[in-house]
Amino acid sequence: MLGAAASTALTGCSSSNSGSSSSTAAPGSKPGVGTGSPVRGGTLTVGTIAEIDGFYPPSNHWDTNGFIYANAIYDPLMAVTADGTVKPYLAKSMTSNSTYDTWTLTLRPGVKFNDGSALTSAVVMANYSALKASPLTGVALNQVSSVTTLDDMTVVYTLTGPNPTFPAGLTTQVGYIVGEAMIQQATSNPSAPLTPIGTGPFIYAQWQPNDHFTATRNPNYWRSGLPYLDSITFRPIPDTTQRESTLRTGGVDMIESVDPTTITNFSGSAGTGFQLVDTSTGVIGQPSFAFIMLNTAVPPTNDLSIRQALAKGLDQAAVQKVIGGPPAKPATGMFLPGSPYYSETDYPTYDPAGAKALVGAYKARHGTPTVNLLTIPDPLEIKVVQAVQQMWDQVGFDVTVSEVEQATIIDDFVFGKFQAATSYQFGAVNPDLNYVWWSTTTISPIGQIGLNFTRVDDPTIESALLTGRHTTDQATRVTAYQTVNEQLAKQLPYLWVEQYVFSEVGAGRVQNFNNPTLPDGTPQYAFDEGIFVPTQIWLAG
Amino acid sequence: MTKYFIKRFLQLVVVAFIISVLVFLLVHLLPGDPSVTILGPNDTAHNRAILFKQLGLNKPLLQQYTTWLNAVFHGNLGQSYLNHESVTHIVATGAPIDIELIVISQVIAFAVAIPLALITSRRPNRAFDNVSTTTTFGLLALPPFVIAPIMVAVFAVSLHWFPATGYVPLTQDPATNLHDMILPSLAITAGSIAVYYRLLRSDLISTLQEDFITMARSKGLSNRRIMLRHAFRPSTFSLLAAAGVNIGALLAGTFIVEYLFALSGLGYSLVQAVQQRDYLVVQGISLVVAIAYVVLQFIIDFLFTVVDPRVVRE
Repeated sequence: MLGAAASTALTGCSSSNSGSSSSTAAPGSKPGVGTGSPVRGGTLTVGTIAEIDGFYPPSNHWDTNGFIYANAIYDPLMAVTADGTVKPYLAKSMTSNSTYDTWTLTLRPGVKFNDGSALTSAVVMANYSALKASPLTGVALNQVSSVTTLDDMTVVYTLTGPNPTFPAGLTTQVGYIVGEAMIQQATSNPSAPLTPIGTGPFIYAQWQPNDHFTATRNPNYWRSGLPYLDSITFRPIPDTTQRESTLRTGGVDMIESVDPTTITNFSGSAGTGFQLVDTSTGVIGQPSFAFIMLNTAVPPTNDLSIRQALAKGLDQAAVQKVIGGPPAKPATGMFLPGSPYYSETDYPTYDPAGAKALVGAYKARHGTPTVNLLTIPDPLEIKVVQAVQQMWDQVGFDVTVSEVEQATIIDDFVFGKFQAATSYQFGAVNPDLNYVWWSTTTISPIGQIGLNFTRVDDPTIESALLTGRHTTDQATRVTAYQTVNEQLAKQLPYLWVEQYVFSEVGAGRVQNFNNPTLPDGTPQYAFDEGIFVPTQIWLAG
Repeated sequence: MTKYFIKRFLQLVVVAFIISVLVFLLVHLLPGDPSVTILGPNDTAHNRAILFKQLGLNKPLLQQYTTWLNAVFHGNLGQSYLNHESVTHIVATGAPIDIELIVISQVIAFAVAIPLALITSRRPNRAFDNVSTTTTFGLLALPPFVIAPIMVAVFAVSLHWFPATGYVPLTQDPATNLHDMILPSLAITAGSIAVYYRLLRSDLISTLQEDFITMARSKGLSNRRIMLRHAFRPSTFSLLAAAGVNIGALLAGTFIVEYLFALSGLGYSLVQAVQQRDYLVVQGISLVVAIAYVVLQFIIDFLFTVVDPRVVRE
């Protein structure tokens, strides 16, 4: 799939789909849903795609792996339920005033961090201050004008404007609460190694980057009787084939993947004895999408006719075939059919003749348009990019390809130093979490930090985004995000490729990895953009 | 002999000094503020100020270098800005993996290449020699990223003889460690076997034409004795030189194998650090690898004198 995830940490990679789907569990059972009575003990070993850069929410870039690790040792203030609503987790309650611009959060009593300190409003305040001060996460809290504490257990968020969906933001990276001692350590000596302090089901035990991360059962976990496992170990195995082979040979109990071929490889008889869960179906909100991003602030992609020509010259179906895996649905916007926000758009269909005409007109004015297509050095990415290069060359573009490393490409996005680039993004339980990527307020000149990577500058989009954020009427919100979707199809900062599908495969003995519940017993969003919660997993004998 | 080694040692010191300067300058030669280079563009001014103070980035370059070198001599290679892991720890955990991969792969390579060369050189261009030569040509054409998945599919997934990935430190469980390291080591062995076999075979054939071999044969010495006692040692000069270059290249050069087998060796850590612009890690590993390479060549120079004492006189 198109890689180079454009930092999800800012909005927290929260997501959207109902989390789960297909596959090959024992007859009569649902993949990843435990059968029988939970069994205590044992160590679960998970093969992950990549390593994370750390456990500190204000400064580390959490992708899917980051959230999986975080779910082992921390808890979020709020969490998403299986029907997409947001409910308290570490919080006991969260209520707003009538205008939705002041939110009062009451903490769950009796919760302690693994260093013995108590969860109080002062700790939440300390977390907020650190997150707000961070260039990485501060922008996600821009709508918060102030935070105050009413008492030991109550925190009040005052917003710059009404936002009925504000609690959704606290399900993301900015909602994970760490111990105050950890914040003090990070502040006083930012270059010293940090020992994570959390309230989570497991306690940080050992982390050797690129080798393993192990967390052991928290004996004083506030959720009575949980977790079931004695410990959990994560092993980064970057090569997909090797990760799959390690699962098949018993080296790990579970693997995660973003390679569509994993779904093929563990479907049908090939998946006998394994449980496959993926995000290809059941989307409630907004899934992650793979796309080619166009910079609207640099020539020639600042010219709408060029972006239209690139869109018309891109054979989406052919690119999907190059990516492989199960057949993908056509993508004409950032929502899939079935989502309340989905609407038909004017997104261009594959039309090489139309593309040639547009390129010809541009050529008459400015000469042959040269486009550099940026990607990361991943074999599948390179195959995709080569196919796209050929398509665009055929309609008259002079296309060059550049490969840069993951960290570099994110910086290039932030500083606007690209013309076209492969990426994936936008999985969000609430479209408002994607505000920063399309807002006119996050556009910066080329060379300066701007989170609106494409620099798409459209007042209609900004207005719709604010309407979507502020309204209390669901129909108005739906219309607002449909407007955003339609405007993006007209402005074409993104050329959609396909839904970015996450999958998880567990050995037969791994029980309940796709069936978590919230503290009040409500079914939790189980497989949120590939993120699982280890609290209620057990191993069958 | 002593003079030869003193001369070689002084050369080693000079090269090591030049390496240290170049590696030190790595961060400073990059455009922009070194603290931004090290911490990345997204960090806070507060953290940059702390780093500035920690690294003495406001002091003259020479003073920064001596401070850095002093820290290096005290085992402090800095730390990752991303996860704050000490570079010394990264090296301490990664180097044993590289060393094991190199040692096991080279032992296998020599164990296969030397007997094969001894046998085929006695009767060149016969059927066995032709088969061996063709096979080793084939091995040369098979890079680790091709061999590794095939070996995993056969020996791990189908036969369950070895794990597909996994690593337990030697000090923790030697048997499991060896079991885990066989497949990764074999993946990088093929090329070495081919090179060593072909070089040794060629040199042996040449040596066997020498007068002293004819003399040995005329004395009625057995073929086995002639090969092992008379022909082998003078034929290992090229083999030794090639081994020096090959092992040097494997120092942090086993990235592909480490990536495929999920081993956090120096090569994988170095490439990861480069991808993440974690310059202090790049700096630390580069220094260690470069110094190790220089020391390795010093050892090879010593071995040359064992194989052929005339080297000292030259």
